[in-house]
Amino acid sequence: MSAPPAGTVPAGLSATQAITMVAVREIRTRVLTRAFVIGNAVFLLLIVGSLTLAAVLQDDPGKPVKIAVVGEANELNPALQAAGERLKTPVLIRELATPEAARAAVVNGDVKVVLLRERGGYVARADKRLSPTLQALLTSAVQQRAVAEALTARDVDPGVLAEAASGARLDVRFERPPKKDADQRTALAFAVVGLLYLQLLGNGIAVATGVVEEKTSRVVELLLAAIKPLHLLAGKVFGIGVVGLIQLAAYGVVGLTMGAATGLVDLNGAAVGAFVSTLGWYVLGYLFLGMLYAAAGSMVSRQEEVGSATAALSVLVIAMFAVAQASVSDPNGDLSNTMSWIPPFSAILMPLRIAAGVTGPGQILGTAALMLVTTSVLAVGAARIYQASILRTGSGFSWRRKAAATG
Amino acid sequence: MQDWQMDVQHVSKRFGETVALDDLSFTVAPGELFGFVGSNGAGKSTTMRIALGMLSPDHGQILLGGRPIDLAVRRRIGYMPEQRGLYAKMRVGPQLDYFARLHGFDRPRARAAVTYWTERLDIAHRLHDRVNALSLGNQQRVQLAAALVHDPALLILDEPFSGLDPVAVDVMSEVLRERCRAGMPVIFSSHQLDLVQRLCDRVGIISKGHMRALGTVDELRAAGVARLVVRAPDADPGWASGLPGVSVVSHDPGRTVLELAADTDDQQVLAAALRTGPVHEFALHRPSLTELFREVVAA
Repeated sequence: MSAPPAGTVPAGLSATQAITMVAVREIRTRVLTRAFVIGNAVFLLLIVGSLTLAAVLQDDPGKPVKIAVVGEANELNPALQAAGERLKTPVLIRELATPEAARAAVVNGDVKVVLLRERGGYVARADKRLSPTLQALLTSAVQQRAVAEALTARDVDPGVLAEAASGARLDVRFERPPKKDADQRTALAFAVVGLLYLQLLGNGIAVATGVVEEKTSRVVELLLAAIKPLHLLAGKVFGIGVVGLIQLAAYGVVGLTMGAATGLVDLNGAAVGAFVSTLGWYVLGYLFLGMLYAAAGSMVSRQEEVGSATAALSVLVIAMFAVAQASVSDPNGDLSNTMSWIPPFSAILMPLRIAAGVTGPGQILGTAALMLVTTSVLAVGAARIYQASILRTGSGFSWRRKAAATG
Repeated sequence: MQDWQMDVQHVSKRFGETVALDDLSFTVAPGELFGFVGSNGAGKSTTMRIALGMLSPDHGQILLGGRPIDLAVRRRIGYMPEQRGLYAKMRVGPQLDYFARLHGFDRPRARAAVTYWTERLDIAHRLHDRVNALSLGNQQRVQLAAALVHDPALLILDEPFSGLDPVAVDVMSEVLRERCRAGMPVIFSSHQLDLVQRLCDRVGIISKGHMRALGTVDELRAAGVARLVVRAPDADPGWASGLPGVSVVSHDPGRTVLELAADTDDQQVLAAALRTGPVHEFALHRPSLTELFREVVAA
């Protein structure tokens, strides 16, 4: 150990090598932290748990409804079966001997509802709630039984009436019929908006915090003795962006897999397209915001100032989220349609519109092109601000002053 | 091997109304250990930041190896900022490896350099620890390793000794002397003037952006005002007052400090002292670097 290892003076790194090296450090640093691993594991478990819960709570139209009848209430059995057929809800009837046994069956969840005969009428006892469909089925059965009794009392054959009634049909048609997977599309749009909001805001702030960390620790002075500021900036934005993309992809894959396994999501439908478009629009939105967050971070010298430096950007992301939330229920409305053309709102509204199935290739390509052009222009400005600010300490924060200074 | 002399040529820098550097000039030769001393805000760090290309001078220039500062030149500098300069949450080994590879080292060479410098600076056992888990002294050692790991041609160190225990000071001093012996110019700033006096080949004292004194420690001390210390227990307070070319700086019972004009005969002073009785000490005192520094800063 008498002398340090000798060798020729190495050539400087190429731009690609420098950016890759910085990005790899960013990825390793973020991915290998305990907080990252635990946070993402919890989030993935939440996705699995919520989808499982949704599947359990979802009404299954093909699943028979279990109804108990006590004593004379069994005279309703034919009417219940007939009403079930009309409403396309199979009915499974259990006859129980006593009201107590019936009550226990309801509370235990063995049956949805129990019918009893009381004071010349019928009483339905349910546990906590009764779905409108089941309520309609029971009412129909009771009314049908009453009509049949009245007709029999007047020597009219109820079968004749039933036959006549079954021949009369009402054909309902809609002017704007919902798509067959409308519910799934709404749920997808909601998920897309939430995930993009979390990723864009979280990773944007991560970029600003990382830039300030390097500045306050003065590591940046060592780094910039080896590589160019632009390469450092690009590597940092790229590295954090890749981590965000991997997170988003993991959430999507787990969500789609669980959704398909539980029958909530049809992988042949809109889900996969929505997932892919979300990843693409995340990249565009993140590049737009990440560069600006980096420029904002470079303008302050202390971690305490990150909040004030990035406040305007965070308000912008929250505004994007608010507009998207307002558009989930009406994805093809004027608000969504107009704002989706405006960068960076397009980054969150376009995947929402794609998930909802209310946009076409023309709008997708047009908004993506606008987003790319705007991002390129802003990135040049942000990079100039970053290069002019990253080694300066002590000055206050001002977008206007920095933009003027970098002119 | 290229000559990596550092030439600071008439450098001036202002921050608003504040003059940080005013026509500053000096050189640091290959193999020279240069101590850069001055009060807080005197201009040391500004000079170093200009040398690293982090700041642009308003006037003048700094050349390294005869070349103006660009990225290729900066890559040959080993730099240690004051106190900080590391990723606090990153582990020591990967961090040093990262700095080496950013300078273009391939993986095996980076690994070899990290191994060498962590062993040399006695922090090899902390390779897998995060930087913020280390003591301040060990963090300083890691910082020095970060400055050295890419085999620089020149070292610029801002307060490398602050907060170090004596053992760490010895290790760091030896490493710097070793690098100088290998032909590397080393410039470092410090407030520990006794250390600078002991360690440096040459010293520059800067005050308010001006270089007030520059030279070897011996040159600076010789250029300072010489004082004569006389210990004569029976001497009266005014025994030296009438002597030509002599002024009394201080008099404590039995001990008098005198300042002599340039052509004053010190033997006449000795004779006068002997006339008061026995003389136990008669010594010429050259000012220490600390005393010189105080004089310069007070001027």
